[in-house]
Amino acid sequence: MENIKTSIVNYLKDNSFMDKNTELEDSDSLTQSGIIDSIGLLELLDYISEKYSIEIPEDMLIPENLDSLHGLTNMITSLTK
Amino acid sequence: MNIDAYLTEHARKTPHRIALEEGNNSISYGNLEASVSDIAASIGEFRHCRFAILEEMGIQYIKMLMAVYRSDNIAIPMPIEMPRIILEKILDNSHIRNIITTEAQYSKLGENFFKRFGTIVIVSENKPIQFIRKELSIESNHPELKLVLYTSGTTGIPKGVMLSDKNLTTNAASIIEILGLNADDKAAMVISPHHAFGNSIINSHLMAGGCIAMGNMKFIGSVFSLIESGVTVFYGVPSTYRILLRYPDRFKKAFSNVRTAASAGGGMTKQILRNIKELVPGIEVLPMYGQTEATARLAYVPKEDVEEFIETIGKPIPGVTLDVFASKGQPVGPYITAELVAKGDNILLGYLDDEAATKKKIIDGWMYTGDLAQKLPNGYFKLMGRKDDLLKIGDHLVNPREIEKTIENNNKVSAVFVVPVEHELMGTAISLMVIPEPETDIDTLFKFCRKNLPAHLYPKEILFIDHPPLTESGKISNRLIVEEYKNVKNRM
Repeated sequence: MENIKTSIVNYLKDNSFMDKNTELEDSDSLTQSGIIDSIGLLELLDYISEKYSIEIPEDMLIPENLDSLHGLTNMITSLTK
Repeated sequence: MNIDAYLTEHARKTPHRIALEEGNNSISYGNLEASVSDIAASIGEFRHCRFAILEEMGIQYIKMLMAVYRSDNIAIPMPIEMPRIILEKILDNSHIRNIITTEAQYSKLGENFFKRFGTIVIVSENKPIQFIRKELSIESNHPELKLVLYTSGTTGIPKGVMLSDKNLTTNAASIIEILGLNADDKAAMVISPHHAFGNSIINSHLMAGGCIAMGNMKFIGSVFSLIESGVTVFYGVPSTYRILLRYPDRFKKAFSNVRTAASAGGGMTKQILRNIKELVPGIEVLPMYGQTEATARLAYVPKEDVEEFIETIGKPIPGVTLDVFASKGQPVGPYITAELVAKGDNILLGYLDDEAATKKKIIDGWMYTGDLAQKLPNGYFKLMGRKDDLLKIGDHLVNPREIEKTIENNNKVSAVFVVPVEHELMGTAISLMVIPEPETDIDTLFKFCRKNLPAHLYPKEILFIDHPPLTESGKISNRLIVEEYKNVKNRM
């Protein structure tokens, strides 16, 4: 779990509108806080799909799964099982 | 009759009909009318004053917009997706003393941001309207001014386009006619409501007495669910379609009950059209062309001609005349490239507080679009590029020279050149070529772009070069920049 989270945070620091020194809580909204926009989210999904060799079905592409570190790690964990 | 009067009319005739949907929330015409009247009454003492509206797409946003119309004040929707620094520039340059927003936006941007306003109105769901401050201002504005829309692409100070009631209702009526909209239609709106395209969806569907289902493009699963909720007309810019088409099976399912897929904000390509038609053969694809300065729409490609004429902008919408003028205002013949001009009741009143720009834009009643075009013998028009050096980036019209200057003036660099590059989803994105100074740091440049430029202008890559790609006369041209970029890439 922690590993997944760390790699997402590192990705966001390099590829999103997040500052290197921003502290992100697990439940913070990535879209509301302006960290990521719609194109950025799609790029993040491409990154995740490749890194964890998973295919994310489009009915999982909802805020509950995508809009927070918590949602993203849970989604990846459930798809890699 | 103005737009909000149509709302009153529908509320009287069909009070229980759903006007707006947002996630699991919805509101009927009757309830929307009551809320709009409440908010309008609270600012009723203001006489034709400028009101910034700061809220994301949703039921609240449309309530505020209609309420500012109804109170006979001037609505100025803030392009909220822009960086704060650009919002501040817009607000200060357009001398806006009043703002209407929500609690969430107020706490997000903070008290400091709101210091510049004499009046701050907070509208929240299920709570009375609240004034943080109230200071009646006396303003002298264009007597017909109803709405100011900002164009979306620029990094500097976007121009405010002044629109009247007549502009709004004429353009909405034309759109209703070409799309055949009626009260049974449900529109899917997943693009920003603060710019011309989104605003035209609100106007035309509320005027027709139908329903608007609102969402955004962030969560694709939610977008498809929204379309499957009984949507009959879907609106998108080309990149919207490109993104949704990445999921062909779900696209096919979701769009199977959609009558019309309308597009504007950039040229619909043959490829996008082919992909849509392959998945959903029965759907009507409707490419439209327009500008903020024309309230929204100017031309469309009729459905029977879409396959053959997808690479044109089609013919003028009802009430609009288009022509192609040579430099002296003379119409030219077919197949001759010159500037596209437009006339009609949807043409802007002018630019806000900028008479010089207005005089250049409207000459002898014709609006100069800045687009180069050719007339075809069948009365259709074909775009041939821009007269100026503007670029379409992620379906936004942007000025590369302005981006270059913004970066140069705020960073340790010798020179910056913006290169349009292909992007899988946006169509076109930008890369930067930079002539560095000893202190130039790539990370700092990326960081600056994140903070100060709209998201679609975040560079894909930053390359260092050692000499400027200039013409013999020392001018910058997009063509030379692109050539130099190709050379640099080839050498890498």
